[in-house]
Amino acid sequence: MKKILVVDDEENIRELYRIEFEDMGYTVTVVSDGIQALDKMDSDKFDLVTLDMRMPDIDGIETLRKMKEKDSALPVIICTAYEEYKQDFGSWCSEAYVVKSADTSLLRETVKKILG
Amino acid sequence: MEALEKTELSILSEISHISNSAIDLTEKLRRIEEVVVRGMGKDGASVFLVDQSGKTVTLVAAIGLNQESVGRMSFPLGMGIAGWVAEQKVPLALEDPYSDPRFVYVPESGIENFKSLVAAPIMDEERCLGVIFVLSLLVWQATSSELTLLTTTANEIAGVIKSTQLIQNIQDRLSELSTIYEIGMALTSTLDLEQLLSLIAKNSVQSLRAQGCTIRLVDIPEIPSRKTFAAYNIAGNVIMDIDARIGQTVSDRVAREKRPILIQDAHQDAALCELLAAGACSLISVPLLFREKVIGIITVYTRDESRPFRENDLQFLTTVASGAAVAVENAAMYERMESLAMEARTRAQELAILNDIGTAMSTTLNLDRLLRIILTAATMGGTGLGFNRAILLLTNERTDMLQGMMGIGPTSWEEAGRAWGEVSSKHKSLMEWIQTGELFEHRDSALNALARSIRVSLTPAEGVMALTVLNKRPYNITNASSDPLVRRELRDALAVNSFATVPLIAKDRVIGVILVDNMFNQRPITEGDIRFLTMFANQSALAIENAIIHTNLETMNKDMRALHEQLVQSEKMAALGAMMAEITHEIRNPLVSIGGFTRRLAKNLQHSEEKKYIDIILSEVTRLEGIIHDNLSYIKEVAPQPVETDIAALIREILMLYEDELAQRRIRVETNFSPALPGLMIDAQQIKQAAINILKNAMEAMENGGTLTIRTYPSDAEKEAAIEFGDTGPGISSKAMHNVFNPYYTTKPRGTGLGLPITNRIIKAHRGRIELRNKDTGGASFTIKLPYGERGDKKPA
Repeated sequence: MKKILVVDDEENIRELYRIEFEDMGYTVTVVSDGIQALDKMDSDKFDLVTLDMRMPDIDGIETLRKMKEKDSALPVIICTAYEEYKQDFGSWCSEAYVVKSADTSLLRETVKKILG
Repeated sequence: MEALEKTELSILSEISHISNSAIDLTEKLRRIEEVVVRGMGKDGASVFLVDQSGKTVTLVAAIGLNQESVGRMSFPLGMGIAGWVAEQKVPLALEDPYSDPRFVYVPESGIENFKSLVAAPIMDEERCLGVIFVLSLLVWQATSSELTLLTTTANEIAGVIKSTQLIQNIQDRLSELSTIYEIGMALTSTLDLEQLLSLIAKNSVQSLRAQGCTIRLVDIPEIPSRKTFAAYNIAGNVIMDIDARIGQTVSDRVAREKRPILIQDAHQDAALCELLAAGACSLISVPLLFREKVIGIITVYTRDESRPFRENDLQFLTTVASGAAVAVENAAMYERMESLAMEARTRAQELAILNDIGTAMSTTLNLDRLLRIILTAATMGGTGLGFNRAILLLTNERTDMLQGMMGIGPTSWEEAGRAWGEVSSKHKSLMEWIQTGELFEHRDSALNALARSIRVSLTPAEGVMALTVLNKRPYNITNASSDPLVRRELRDALAVNSFATVPLIAKDRVIGVILVDNMFNQRPITEGDIRFLTMFANQSALAIENAIIHTNLETMNKDMRALHEQLVQSEKMAALGAMMAEITHEIRNPLVSIGGFTRRLAKNLQHSEEKKYIDIILSEVTRLEGIIHDNLSYIKEVAPQPVETDIAALIREILMLYEDELAQRRIRVETNFSPALPGLMIDAQQIKQAAINILKNAMEAMENGGTLTIRTYPSDAEKEAAIEFGDTGPGISSKAMHNVFNPYYTTKPRGTGLGLPITNRIIKAHRGRIELRNKDTGGASFTIKLPYGERGDKKPA
């Protein structure tokens, strides 16, 4: 069973993604900020992370950098309400950039593509 | 003896009586002959006189001889009886003259009627003045007392001749003096040079009994109208033109040597054959000296060989010449003064006009109004320059061209008459015209259209207009049809054979050209006109330069304001962008939750009332997300990230994406992709976005279905790719046509109005353009045109 870590400060979104991914057959862990996410990485092993950009304390980009320091092979999908950084995700070493939408099909397809 | 003495006394008494009478010499001699013939009881008499040269004797009076011989019959001294007696100075009686070897018979003279003759020399001291003959029809052997009587009579005749000549000399002198006086009076009577020269010539000819007179004046450059020659020939009282070159060689020498020349006999000098050819055998040429300077030469000539000019004639003409010189100089001076005064008057008038025009020009800094004032001034009579038509052209430094700006003038004779009538009947000055605003009433004439169509490259080969600029000087074209400087197109356009151009020079730089002509009244354009026009052009050029600087400043000011506004706008947009980004984030998250969970609910509901409501929620969420997306796209400007892209593949991808929606809307798609298009260096994402916006627009236009035609083809000589979207909708209203690319403009109840503005912005960022038109067959057509760019290599076919 592949494991996904969902990082988002919005509780509703965490919940939505959790059930969507669980429906797809993955094991889902949710956290509400970057620090918790990095902690979780110490105690657990994940196959994929969906990472929000704007979060309190440390933002998504900082979190992403630290995650890649811990495990450079871990795929990360940036999942954000901002459209304007779309072209930059490659330089941040994330695997994909998905603009949040009520229609989660694009996100689900991207997850499926990465996890196989 | 007594009888003869008595006769002698009576003859001498009668001769002295005749001598005191007031008749001329030949008549006196004839009467004396009568007295002698009667007194001596003979049948005829004749008198020969030695002429001025002293070399011949000529018959001057005769009784009993053929009267036609009088004045004709003459003998050289020593020849014939008359010549012999005149030379030997002794009396001679011949009973039978025909047998005498000294006798020379002149046929038809009448001498053959007489048998015998007696001749006596007429002596004045030692000088022989002539010979008197007494003739007898019968054979007559003269007695010595008869011979003495004739000699005494001859002496008396000498006295008569001398006294008569003396009187004649005095009379001549008097007449000369009175002529000189008359000439002097005449010379002061006029200041008109022509008239004066004519007077001098006429009086000189009459006084000297000459046949002609020429007066040459030394050229005075400042009086162009002044004639070099005045030539007169008198026949009766009529003055006729004669060849003014007569005596030119001589008068040239007179001018050089500053002294008079008298030629008594032109036959003596081979260099004077031209005189003979002109029929003159003797001439006098005298310089007209004024303060030691030769101001002219007067020459008189005669054709009368028996009366060549003498020293006293020369003195007479010299006297006349000295008076004439002063008079001529006075007249010339007067003419010079007059022309100076005229020039001063013209200048003053011109300055007044220029001043008026200057005042008029200073009323505006608006270039169009200024040009109108300038051209009106150039074409106005009275207070203007009075040309028929005027065209003003300005140089364009950027394109190096001369460009027609405005033309003023009537286009036909009728209009010319009307316009001039109008102006003169209203008696308006330029300022009045400006003040009433009448001047600026727009009258679009054919000439103005012609003027505005003129474009001339500033190269010498372009002819007179370009040369006016390049050489910075005016041109007065008097015969355009044969002038190599005038190009045919210009001549045909202007339809005149003469015109003038002057450069508009401001601060040493040619800023344009004024062209004028007198198409209607055909008045020739003079050098004076050109000079005045040049002054006018200089003044105009400064005014135009000022207006242009002013306009440039205004434009610059406007540009600055626009730039400032743009800056404020972009600052606003940046602030708006930041705010939108915030709102987006704040709204998108809840929308994701709402939409995401609703979608989940929808999965479990089939065909129920609730399903319908849930679908409404979902579609509204989708719309809100769309609005957010459009706004963000519009606000942020992202530089294109070009990658080589196959346009056809890109379009196919989009069509695949919208396959369902197109089918739902019952829209058929026809495509035609040109294989000739190369791969384009474009940002595929952005172009896709742009194309989708157009596609959506087309779909919405075809509410009840239709056909969407998409074709691609090379355009603009294979330098750009065209992507054309044609629909079969209602087309675009003219109002929409101007607004579709303005943000937030929409004709749809649910649109954001940002789709096409975003498209436009993307295409512009790719240095392309969008063309929008209504098709002839109905419906609208959008064409995106994208340049091939640097790597736009043509695909191998």
